[in-house]
Amino acid sequence: MIDRRKWLAVLIQGGSAVMAAVVGIPALLSAISPGWRSRPGGQWRTTGRLADFPLGTVQPAVVKVGRGDWAQTLESKTVYVYRLTDDQVVVYSRNCTDLSCPLVFDAGSECFFCPCHGGIFGKDGKPMAGPPSKPLYRYVTRIRDGELEIDLHSLPPMT
Amino acid sequence: MAGKVREWVIDRFGLQPIYDKVLNRRVPRAHWYSGDGSTLLALLGIQVVTGAVLALTYSPAADSAYQSVVYLTEQQTLGWFIRGLHYWSAGAMMVVVTFHLLRQILLAGYKSPREGTWLTGVVLFLCILLMAYTGYLLRWDERAIHGIRVMLHMLVRVPLIGESLVMLVQGGPDIGPATLTRLYGFHVLVVPLTMFLMVAFHVYLVVVRGTITQAERTQLVHSAEEQKQLYDEEKESPERGETFFPVTVFKSGLTATLVIGVVIALTVILGPSKLFAEANLTEASIPSEEWWFWWLSGMIALLPPAVAPWFVVIFPLAVFGFLFLLPLLDRGPARGVRNRPLWAALVVIVVIILLGLTDYRRRSTFTGWPESEPPPVPVGMTLPPDAERGRILFAQYGCNSCHPVAGHGRKFAVDFASLQGQMSRDKIREYILQPPAGVKMPSYQGRLDDDQLTALVEFCHVVQTFPLQP
Repeated sequence: MIDRRKWLAVLIQGGSAVMAAVVGIPALLSAISPGWRSRPGGQWRTTGRLADFPLGTVQPAVVKVGRGDWAQTLESKTVYVYRLTDDQVVVYSRNCTDLSCPLVFDAGSECFFCPCHGGIFGKDGKPMAGPPSKPLYRYVTRIRDGELEIDLHSLPPMT
Repeated sequence: MAGKVREWVIDRFGLQPIYDKVLNRRVPRAHWYSGDGSTLLALLGIQVVTGAVLALTYSPAADSAYQSVVYLTEQQTLGWFIRGLHYWSAGAMMVVVTFHLLRQILLAGYKSPREGTWLTGVVLFLCILLMAYTGYLLRWDERAIHGIRVMLHMLVRVPLIGESLVMLVQGGPDIGPATLTRLYGFHVLVVPLTMFLMVAFHVYLVVVRGTITQAERTQLVHSAEEQKQLYDEEKESPERGETFFPVTVFKSGLTATLVIGVVIALTVILGPSKLFAEANLTEASIPSEEWWFWWLSGMIALLPPAVAPWFVVIFPLAVFGFLFLLPLLDRGPARGVRNRPLWAALVVIVVIILLGLTDYRRRSTFTGWPESEPPPVPVGMTLPPDAERGRILFAQYGCNSCHPVAGHGRKFAVDFASLQGQMSRDKIREYILQPPAGVKMPSYQGRLDDDQLTALVEFCHVVQTFPLQP
């Protein structure tokens, strides 16, 4: 008799485990699947005509993101364009390299200020104060027909 | 008749065993402060009710989420009250759960046979933190979007799988509509379901294993068996025990009522939390976390660059690792405050640090920010023409993005008024052109002509005679 009970218990436990796995594993995989979606490079977006950025200055530029998904939210993104010479240009993301708070460029002191924990960066992108340890993120850029373009996916996904 | 109906209800709904085993049971005498657990339960009830009402209006789609919160606050009947209650009750939960947790550490509420109660409690603490954080994001204003990015940037620091974690949370390669939907599902389904199970388990264990008693706090308890014996003696004693219902319930109910009274008062006086501009990645903004996370933000601001990147990963893991392992780490026979002075000191230090960091973040003297207004001249003072031109340049060249003048403006750098004339014109000029190594100031070499430089130096020099305001 005790054997029959034991077998029933094993059957119940095993059956429950199978049922849980049949539902649970696909549920979990589907829920976490965005984690391994591909993030192809070459997402080129224009920041405007290169000639419109004055030499030696840092200027904000608004980029259209164009994700192409089901809502038109967060479709624009501000980046900072630093034109060093005629054809040398750097495009910084607005993320602080500490925790991604939105930097603002102060044309007076020529510094980037982070509003959160005291990060300050120079015009050259190097950290000057606060917790940031890395220089500002720089997008991969190219110039096409006089338009300055950046690859949105050349930086980590939260930028 | 009424008696018969009552009997019928009690019998058919099986209420008698609940009354006998839960309500009409003997427990060791409770203190007023042991009502903190009941208070959390009551606050959670408020969250469930107000949250359900909010969910009936809230639109979890990124295009319309913000507008639905505006509608809730401004148009819907008593919507502001429901939102306010949800917000302040969340804040109260953060405060009370911290008190609850620290009290258990102070008294050793995690020791045998209450390890299970402690562990389910730690899971609930984590759930409350997640709820307090994700709720803030659902407003979908600009603070929310930057709050999300801060969390994502913490996740990207996790070695090897950082970027995958970011995409997992934001729901794809970029922040977008999926991000909000995922956070919503997390806030209203995943975490609340976990909490529901854990609260049931936690409360069940509180009934079965009780809470730490006066006797346990004064004498050494070496084993779970010894504790159970002590507990049973105490609860049956006429002086040291009481009946759970109504005596204990009345005391904890009083604590809960008091806290809920404060929550309602704050809701009526201050209303729901302020809504900022709709979520965007274009406008300049000074985001800030909710006040209950100020301490963490203050701590992050103090981190040197060498430590900052890995701290945000290690710190939460260390805290929760410590909390989960606490019943294994501390298994000595002593409980209560008096027998464990080191633990008492630890809790006091933690509280002082939390309050100190909160104040540090509130003042935020570590943040520089562009200010377009030139600093004001003290009343009754007129500046010489050179210095007056320097005052305008002081703002034009962003000096006041960091330097306060006689207490006005950003407090990041030195206030010249506090120098009281110690700095000569030459020294000031030298500083402006080439700040010494290690000084967090940009060089103005080549940016100012001689005339401008002289004017700026004059202003900085004369500021040293300004009366320093408190």
